[in-house]
Amino acid sequence: MIVVEQLVKSFGSNRVLHGIDHTQSRGEAVVLIGPSGCGKSTFLRCLNQLETADSGSISVAGVTVKSGQKESRAASHKLQRELRMKTGMVFQQFNLFPHLTALQNVTTAPVVVKRMNRRAAEVLGRELLAKVGLEQKADAYPAQLSGGQQQRVAIARALAMQPEVMLFDEPTSALDPELRDEVLRVMRQLVEEGMTTIVVTHEMQFARDMADKVLFFDAGRVAESGPPEEIFGNPRNERTREFLKRVAVK
Amino acid sequence: MKHALRWARSGGALTIAILLLLGGSGHAFAADTLDSIRARGELLWGADAEGGAPYVYPDPEHPEKLIGFEVDLANALANRLGVKARVVQNQWDQLIPALERGNFDIILNGLEITPQNQQQINFARPYYVYAQQIVTLTGTTNLTTLADLKGHPVGVLAATAAQRLVQAFGGIDVRIYPGNVENFQDMKAGRIDAAVLDLPIALFYAKPDPALRLSGEPFAPGYYGIGVRRTDPELLAALNQAIADLLADGTIEKIDRKYGLWDERQAVLKDYHQEAVAQRKTISTLREWPKYLPLLLRGAVTTIELSVLGMALAMVTGLVIVLIRLYSVAPFRWFAQAYVEFIRGTPLLIQLFLIYYGLPEIGIRLNAFVAAVVGLGLNYAASEAENYRAGIQAVPRGQMEAAQALGMSHGQALRHVILPQALRMVIPPVTNDFIAMFKDSSIVSVITMVELTKVYGMLAMSTYDYIGLGLMTAGIYFALSYPASIFAGRLERRLQRDRR
Ligand SMILES: Nc1ncnc2c1ncn2[C@@H]1O[C@H](COP(=O)(O)OP(=O)(O)OP(=O)(O)O)[C@@H](O)[C@H]1O
Ligand SMILES: [Mg+2]
Repeated sequence: MIVVEQLVKSFGSNRVLHGIDHTQSRGEAVVLIGPSGCGKSTFLRCLNQLETADSGSISVAGVTVKSGQKESRAASHKLQRELRMKTGMVFQQFNLFPHLTALQNVTTAPVVVKRMNRRAAEVLGRELLAKVGLEQKADAYPAQLSGGQQQRVAIARALAMQPEVMLFDEPTSALDPELRDEVLRVMRQLVEEGMTTIVVTHEMQFARDMADKVLFFDAGRVAESGPPEEIFGNPRNERTREFLKRVAVK
Repeated sequence: MKHALRWARSGGALTIAILLLLGGSGHAFAADTLDSIRARGELLWGADAEGGAPYVYPDPEHPEKLIGFEVDLANALANRLGVKARVVQNQWDQLIPALERGNFDIILNGLEITPQNQQQINFARPYYVYAQQIVTLTGTTNLTTLADLKGHPVGVLAATAAQRLVQAFGGIDVRIYPGNVENFQDMKAGRIDAAVLDLPIALFYAKPDPALRLSGEPFAPGYYGIGVRRTDPELLAALNQAIADLLADGTIEKIDRKYGLWDERQAVLKDYHQEAVAQRKTISTLREWPKYLPLLLRGAVTTIELSVLGMALAMVTGLVIVLIRLYSVAPFRWFAQAYVEFIRGTPLLIQLFLIYYGLPEIGIRLNAFVAAVVGLGLNYAASEAENYRAGIQAVPRGQMEAAQALGMSHGQALRHVILPQALRMVIPPVTNDFIAMFKDSSIVSVITMVELTKVYGMLAMSTYDYIGLGLMTAGIYFALSYPASIFAGRLERRLQRDRR
C-alpha cells in the first residue's frame, strides 16, 4: 500500500530526512513519535507532496513519485496531484476554510476536483459530518465551532476525497485536553473501520491502543520501529527510552 | 480666449468659494491703488503665461523670459505711469476673482469687454479689437460660418467668448479644451471638424501651419480691455489717458505689427466711447436652484458613470495584474510589477494626456468618455492590484496547503479558497479607492469631458456665483460619497467581527 524508499529531504543545507524507508500494508495504523524537529511533519508532508523530496521514491496505492529525476514539469505535476488524491491530510491547525460553512468545507473539493455533482456532494458531505458527530453543524462557519469540532470537520473534509491513506499531523496538539477525546474517538473509529493511517502524535495511550506499528524518529532517521507493546514495553534504542521517559513524566 | 488646466482651476474655484464663505471677501483698500502703484514703483499686472502666444508666453529662445504683445503693452503703460511693470501669473479664468482679492493691480490678458465681465469690474478703454475666426483642416472647405458648424464637433477654449458664442448659437457639438495646442491636435486627429477662436490665436498658430486654414471671414468682433477694480477710479482714469496717448503716438500699432496682429479694424480704437453699463446684477444660484441644480445633477450622472465604469475596469485589471505578478513566470511578472510602479510613479493627468492626445499619433483614437474610463481604470488598477496583493498575502499559508492537500490545483485553490478570502479583506480599501476616484474623476475635464466639476466651472463662469454653486456642487459630491463611506465603514466592522 505504502512503500517509501531512501527518502531524503533538505531545507537548504539542513538535511532533515536522511533516507527513510517505510512499508505499510492496507488497513495498517502506524503511529510516528519522536522529539521535536526530528522530521515527522516533513515526512508526512513529503508523502502528500506538500514538500518535494530531494531523492528517493514514494509509492501510495499504485502511484509512484520518484524524486530527483528529470521529468517534464507537467508530468511530475500530474503525478503529484494523483498522489495527493490518494492521501488525506489533517493538520495540527485544522486549516479549515473560514469563508465556507462546515458542509461547504467538506463538499468543495469533491465538486471542484472530482467534478462531483453538487447534490451528490452534499449528500456525501452530510453523511461524513454525521460520521464525525456534527450533522447539526453543517451550516456553521468555522469561527462558530470549537477547536475539537473544527478538527472533526477537517477530518470529514479529508475523507470526502475518499483517500486510500489518512495522514494526521498532531491532530490534537492545538486542542484543550477536554476537547481531545472527541477527535481521538473519530480517529479510533476510522482505524477500526480499516482505514490505512499514519498518525504523528504525543498521545501515547492512542498509540498503545490503536497502532499496529510505532515508528520512533530521531534526527531524520527511523531509530526504532515495532509493535507498540515492544516499543513501549521494551525499547532497545537508548534515545527511544529517553524520549518515552520524558513523555511519561509529562 | 484661452486655456487654463481646467481641473486645477475648478478645484481652485471651489476652494476660493469656501474661503470667501469663511473669511468674507476682502476689499480692504482704502486709498486708490494708483497711489500704491506710484509708491511701490511697480504696476502689477495679472496674466496667464500658460494661455500662450501671442498674448503672454515664454520666449522659445529664452524660456525663462516672457514675451508677447501684452508684455510690450504693459511695459509701455507702466512707462507712462512712471513705474516698472511686473507680471503676476494667475490662471486665466480666475483672473477676475484674483483681481478682486487684490493679488495684482490690473488684468491685462485678452480679457473681453463683455456685459458679464463689466458687472464684476471696470474696464479701461480697449487696446485691441478682436474677432472670432473659424479654423479647419486645409482640406475642409464647407465650414465657413457658424451655421455651417451645426451638427459638427467643434473645439473652443475654456471660458472664452468663443465658448459662449458657440454654445449660445445652438446645435453645435461643443468640445471644450484647456489649451490651443490640444485643440489643433484633436482637429488633426479627426476628433473635431473645426475650432472657433479669437482671431489673434488663429493668426498666430493656424495661419503659419500648412495643415490648417482660416475658414471664412472673421465675425463677432469685440474688445480686449484692461480690467480694474471698481474701487480704483483714479487708476482707471490714468490708464485711459495712457492708452489714449499710446494710440495717438502709434505705440500700440507698432506693438501689434511686431506680432502680426495689426489690421484695419484697429483704427476704431482711437475714437472709442464707452457705453453706459448696466449695474452689476448678482445672481443667486441658490435662490434660483431649480434652474441650476438639474444642470449640476446631469454633470453628476456623468461623474457617477465615469467612476463606476472606471472602478469596474480597475478592479478587473488589478486582479489580472496581481495574479500575473504573484503567480506567473519571470518576464510577465516583471512586466506586471513595472506596470504598477510606472502607474504609481506618474501623475494621472499625464496619463490621461497620453491616452487621449498621444495615442492618436499611433493610430488609436478613443472618444473622450472611453479615454476617461480607460485612463481612470488603468490608473486605479495599479492601486487595486496592490490592495489585492496585501489581501492575498494576508491569507495564511495553511489555506493553500489545505486546498492542495485536497487535490486542488494551484488555480483551483486560488479561485475557491485564496481569492474569496482575499477579496473579502480588500473590500474596505477598494471602497475607499472608489470614493477617491469619484472625486478624482473631475480631472478628466482636461480631455473635454463635461462632468460635475466642469459643469460647476462653466456655470460659475457665467454667473460669478462661486459660493452658491460651490455649495451645491460640494453638497452633491458629499451626498454621493458619504453613503459609500458609511457602507465601507459598516463592512469593515462586520468583516472584523467575523474574523477568528
Ligand atoms: N519550510 C521549512 N524551511 C526550512 N526548514 C524547515 C522547514 N520546515 C521544517 N524545517 C526544519 O526541518 C526540521 C524538521 O522539521 P519538522 O517540522 O519535520 O519536525 P517535527 O518532527 O514535525 O517537529 P515537531 O514535533 O516540533 O512538529 C526542523 O529543524 C525544522 O526547522
Ligand atoms: Mg511537526
